[in-house]
Formats: sequence, structure tokens, C-alpha cells
Amino acid sequence: VAEGFVRTLDEMSRRDIDVLVLGREGNARFVSEATRLWLAGTRPFAPGCVVVRETGAVHLMSVTDFGVPREIPSDRLYPMSWNPANIVGAVAAIPGVSSARHVGVDGLTPLFEQLFTFVLPGAEFVDGEAVMRAARRLKSPAEVDLIRAAIVVAEDAFAAAVDALRPGVRESELKGVFEERMCQLGTTTPALEGAFCVVDGDAPIRRLTSDRQIADGDLVAMSAGVLLDGWEGSLARTWSCGAPTADHRGRRERWDAQWTSLLDGCRPGVRAGDLRATAGASVHGVGLGYEGLEDDAVLEAGMVVQLGLESGGVLGADVLLIRDEGVQPLTAFPYPAEGE
Amino acid sequence: VSGDLDLARMRRERHRKVVDTLDAQGLAAAVLLGQPAAAYAVGARAPAADAARASHQRMVAVVAAGGDAPHLYTAFPEGVPPELPADHVHGALPVEWDEGAAALLEVLPDGPIALDEYTMPLYAPLRGREITDATALLSACKVVKTADELECIHRAQAINERAILDVERLVAPGVRGTELSGAFLRRIFELGASANTVDPIWQAMPPCIADGPSTVTGDVVFPTPTTGRPFAAGDVIWVDTGIDYEGYASDFGCTFVVGGPQRRHHDQGARWREIVDRCLEVLKPGATAGDLVRAASTNGDRPWLPHLYLAHGIGTNSAEMPLVGTDLGAEFDDALVLAPGMVLVFEPVVWDDGEAGFRAEEIVTVTDDSYEHLSARDGGPRG
Repeated sequence: VAEGFVRTLDEMSRRDIDVLVLGREGNARFVSEATRLWLAGTRPFAPGCVVVRETGAVHLMSVTDFGVPREIPSDRLYPMSWNPANIVGAVAAIPGVSSARHVGVDGLTPLFEQLFTFVLPGAEFVDGEAVMRAARRLKSPAEVDLIRAAIVVAEDAFAAAVDALRPGVRESELKGVFEERMCQLGTTTPALEGAFCVVDGDAPIRRLTSDRQIADGDLVAMSAGVLLDGWEGSLARTWSCGAPTADHRGRRERWDAQWTSLLDGCRPGVRAGDLRATAGASVHGVGLGYEGLEDDAVLEAGMVVQLGLESGGVLGADVLLIRDEGVQPLTAFPYPAEGE
Repeated sequence: VSGDLDLARMRRERHRKVVDTLDAQGLAAAVLLGQPAAAYAVGARAPAADAARASHQRMVAVVAAGGDAPHLYTAFPEGVPPELPADHVHGALPVEWDEGAAALLEVLPDGPIALDEYTMPLYAPLRGREITDATALLSACKVVKTADELECIHRAQAINERAILDVERLVAPGVRGTELSGAFLRRIFELGASANTVDPIWQAMPPCIADGPSTVTGDVVFPTPTTGRPFAAGDVIWVDTGIDYEGYASDFGCTFVVGGPQRRHHDQGARWREIVDRCLEVLKPGATAGDLVRAASTNGDRPWLPHLYLAHGIGTNSAEMPLVGTDLGAEFDDALVLAPGMVLVFEPVVWDDGEAGFRAEEIVTVTDDSYEHLSARDGGPRG
């Protein structure tokens, strides 16, 4: 049995949750290790995966066992339907669901809430996303290796985009170069559609890549990432198009100083909110995709985070493994050298 | 479809529809957390991302009855429509956390609201309020497209089709689906796509259903995620890709035969053409989804994937109303009356167990007296 699933069952016990009904693909993949079709963007809640604590069974909405591990036999698959009542009926028929008192859900829609309340009149619906966040937060060494593998792909694709950065290229073309290389390296799913955006002085850096042509002397902020077998590898850097100007060098030096101080403060015992107190700083968990970190989340050994800083028209971000003996960067992509 | 596109007009007309529908349904406001819904109501954009990241970086739209401009909460000011008044544009609301949920509750108007989804921090504090599911409201607004919306779908589809022409040249024994995805993604961004919306699908179909992958319904399994398996000569590849242009989805489907189609592949393509043509013959305002189902079916055989549909609408969602031939049933289909401005993506399937099959997609919009294509007409098997 996968270790992540064991942690999920432990969290369910600790919080007295009998059944989890999961709509978020990252959560479903964490407990099932199933690969289903990747779609961009938010999707409204639908019960795509069910975990029953009593039986220790994972059930999946799928019409096929393609991408589904052997540990989940086909009698634990239930088909999709355009009629939400059918889906809710299939979930309610899963052994152990109808007697559940506490059902954790990672989201809801008004319609599914109504239908579930009807078929499970005795159940109380509680925060299943908090359960999954807790189960996913600390990474095992094997999980860290999966993140490392994703970072290798992300960095290779990032290098292709840096190589393609020259006067006349469009921002959107760099996004295409990154994704093409990512696919050549064997994964077709981005963690995000990358930002490859010309910096406009001290204005906030755009994250929506446009079709703007990049000119000699432009500073270009780049943030991108991939999902390899669902695990995220991501990074951000800011590169000059052509030779860096004195302005670029000044901006980078100021950023370097702020980054060093931010990185110094990133260690076990620190709250995510403390890191975010630095203007332009960002921090989120990295695992089976993006993992949210609340302001009160305390960094501890075994967490993997992406720490980022946007300041003075320069954007940079690295993935870090938090350890008791200090932070270990998992991204190794260089920062631009003096003349780059 | 005129080639003319006025994005500000499109946003204005969509907002007017949402406000009119709120008024008609006696609702005080629509609160929209889903990105396609927020994109529809406000016309704002956020970068495409994996679902988890997209949830944490989501835009939130609050559209009030009465017609005042919508309020938008976003981390991406560059994606805000220029005409939205500055005092209606706000920083992101982190509704994945209690403080963001509390901040949203504070700005909600009194009275019944339509909501598309709850995050868990929103769920508990909203209990006791009169909440309806926003699906019905959005469907009512979205099902009939304005001319600008049709133009966006047309442009999205044209970019998608153009990119596929370049990908098609690469199809050969030994090539992997992942390589086709790479060429496709690079090309769509060169051609001006706003985003990619689905992992491009290049599924090698088994000759027989029994050859697997196994299925819980007994039907052909499609779609499955792209893998690094190299194509072999004679492989039948079902293609399904979708990109986004100004918030509107394309939906492209075709069949490649590695090494080139044989007679039986052309025959399957011709039978697919007949199914779609029979549907197009009856397609006009006043026809029902049930009429299309009957036109496509022969001797009780419903030639499409039963867990999907004969046809679906498309817009800011890749599949939306009108849905035709789903498991919602015959009564649903017969009650669904087609009207000018509705869009249908036809995707029937021809399957000869033992010799695989043919699948493609074709998009049309209903006009005042018949229909007009938004996609190219499918020309049969490729490769």
C-alpha cells in the first residue's frame, strides 16, 4: 500500500472522518495513484474518487482501468454520468458510504450538496481538503525523488526557452518552446502555462504571456513548470535579452541581496505568513502539483516549497526541501551570469 | 460568422444576459468561482494552470442584479478588461482559506444568490443563506451565442486546425504521441492561441474492444492520456485536442492512420460522414436534440460513445449545453429545442470490432433557417 494512502487513512482516523469524497484531481491521484486525463483550469466539484476508512478501499470514477493501478480492481470503478443523481447514487452504493457519519469533501457545488444530503441524510459534510493538505504536506524521500525528477525536466525545458530568447522572438513563442521541450522529454502536462513576460520597469511583472516581440535590452521574467507523473517541478528566473544593461545589473544586485535575506529566513519553525511579510515574496507547497500553504502553516523538516521573490522588475523562484539542518535547494538552474 | 470581432461588445452583451437572467430568476447576485464562469461573466483572463494551482489563484466574480458593472477579484490585473471601472477591480480573494472566504461574505449582497461552487472555507459560513446552483443560470445565458462569441470559437478552431496540419506531417512509425503534443503546443502558441486546455490526445485504438484497455461499460475506451509508446505502421490514431482563444474553447477530432489509410478506413470515414450529414439535414431552429439522435441512429444503434454524447455545445467550457444523446435520456433530448446561435460539436463514432474505427468532430452553429460550419468539414481519415 502506498505510503501517501497510509498517511491519508491516519489523518481520517485522527479527525474521525469515515469517508472522503474527492473532486480535486491532485487529491484523487494522491490516494489512488491513477493517471487520468489532464485538463487545465478549475473544475467544479464532482465526486471523482471515494476513500472508505472502514474498508481501506479507494473507488474511482472511470470507465476504464487504463492508468488505474492494479490495487484498485475494476469493481471499484464507477462510471461517469451527465446525471448528477446517478453519480451520487453510485457513490452512496459503495460499501461503507451509506453508514458514514462524517464525510470529508474537498469542495462542493450547491447541487451536489443537495443530492448528497438527500441520499446520506445522517451524514455531516466536513472539510476533506484540510485532511488531504495534512496528509500531503510532509514528503517521504521517495516523493522528494519524484519532485527531483520533475525538476530535471522543468530545468531542461527552461534552458530551451532561455536559448530561444533573442531579439524579435515573441513572448508566446518562448512558452511554446518550453512546452515543446517538455513534451520531448516525455511529459505533456505543464504545472502552469509559463509566464515569459517583458519587464516594464518597476511595474508589477505580468503573468499572462502576450504576443509582444522581445527587443534587445529587454529584461524578461520567466516562470514555468511541469508535472511529471503528476509531480511538480517549477522555477522562475529573469534573463536579459542581449547584453545586460547597467539598469539590469543594478536590479539583479538589489534582488540578490533581498533574496539572500529571504532565503536565510526560510527554515523550520518559520510560518509561511512570516515569509510573505517580505514584499513580493511568495511561498507554496510543491508535491503532486501545487499545494496551498496557509499563513499559519509552520515550515518543518520534510516539507517541499517553492519560494519566490518578485522585486524591482526581477522574478526568481526555487524549490526547496526543508530539513532540520537547513534548507536544501532542489532546483539547480543557474542565475544569469554577469554578462548574460 | 463574419470575421468581425469586438471583444468589448461581446463582454457587454454577456454581462447584460447574466443581469437579465438574475432579474428573471429573482436572484440578487451571481457569485462565480469557476474560471470559465468568471471569464464568461466578466471577460477577465488568468493564466492556464493545473487544477490545483488554478484553484488557489482563481478569479472571483460577483455580478449583481440591476446592471451595475461586475466586481472582479483577481491576482492578474493584466487580464482585466479595460472598460471595467477601477473601483470594481480588487485584489485576489484567497477563498481557499477562512480569511478569504470571510472577505467574500462581507461583499455579498442580501437576498438569494446563485453560486457555482463552494470551497470548504465558504461552505460552513454560507449555510442558512438562500443559495441556488449557478449551473442553470449560466446555461440559460451561455447556450445561445452572440456573433462575437461565434467568431471566437471559429478563430480558436482555425488555430487548432492549422496546428494539426503541421502535426500531421510528423505522423510515422516510431513517432510518439508525446512528440506530437510537443509540436502541437509549440505551434498553437505561434499561431496566437491564448492557452491549451486539455492534454492533447493521440490514442492508438485497439482493433477489438476486447484487446483493451478494459472497460466497465463494454464500450470502446476513449479518451486515454497520451503516453510515450511509439506508433506502429497501421495504427489507427484518434486525435482530440482543445485550445483556447479569448476564453473560448476549440474542439478538434480526427483519425490518423499511420502509414496512410486503406480502403476500410476510407469506408469508415464515409459512414461517419453519412451520420453527420443525416444530422445536418434535420438541423434547423425548432428541431430537437431528439431529432438529431433519431437522425444519427440506425436500427437502434446509437453510433457514439455512450458515456459521452452524439453532440455537445462549446463556449467558455469545452463541453456545455446543448448536450445531445447523453445518459440524461430521451425525454431530455426531446425537450431540448434548438435555436439560432446554439453551437453543436458533432462527434459520432464508427466502430467495426476487429478493424478499429473512425472518429472525428465537426462544429456548426444553428442559423435562422439552417446551420453554418465553425470548423472545417471533416475529410475522412488522414496520414
